[in-house]
Amino acid sequence: MKFMFVIYHDEQTLDALPAGEMQTLVDSALDYTEEIRRSGHYVVSNALQRARTARILRVRGSKVSTTDGPFAETKEQLGGFFLVEAKDMDEACLLAARFPPARLGTIEVRPVRELQHS
Amino acid sequence: MRYLCLVYLVENEMATMSESESDACTDESLAYDEALRRSGQLILAHALERVETATTVRVRQGKLFTTDGPFAETKEQLGGFILIEARDLNDAIQAASRIPLARRGSIEVRPIKELKPSVRRTR
Repeated sequence: MKFMFVIYHDEQTLDALPAGEMQTLVDSALDYTEEIRRSGHYVVSNALQRARTARILRVRGSKVSTTDGPFAETKEQLGGFFLVEAKDMDEACLLAARFPPARLGTIEVRPVRELQHS
Repeated sequence: MRYLCLVYLVENEMATMSESESDACTDESLAYDEALRRSGQLILAHALERVETATTVRVRQGKLFTTDGPFAETKEQLGGFILIEARDLNDAIQAASRIPLARRGSIEVRPIKELKPSVRRTR
């Protein structure tokens, strides 16, 4: 089964980290990625640029409207995601808990829904 | 450059669609994924199960805390994502505006960030 990890963290907390500590966190995230790649759980992952770089887009009728900023104003901001393969929700949560930045932020774990053509 | 398009929808609205409407919506979404694949822009796309299936995970002082439900309670809910390759933000917005569900919900378009390992790791 596939699961998405939606990673939230407080951007200000990250900004306040000393450069060395931030790099250690990045390295540990990259090590984790490598580790779950080797164990066969990894599908894809990406860090995202800051929430302020987001654009929201809606199409109503033939009109496209765009606004600046993330969709949701939250205390912690969406900072990245993983797509993983796991046996079940329990295994997915244990896997998510090993992601080093889980100690600073929050990870939403959600099963993927397979869409079938009618 | 890579962009993540996050698709937000009112789940309850989607749940009240008739079966044929829902099938048409799914077919249209899959057809657009296919169009993006053919144009070389698609990296990966997935729908997600409803927010009530989410578990939220935190680790504090070495202890794992899990709670049921999504991280954020929002009017529209995260229902899927499309990871695309685009020339720039405008190109990404162009691609996002053709996502069929953009007519029903909202799409957040966000550039991805390449994480660089420290020199120690690249040696």
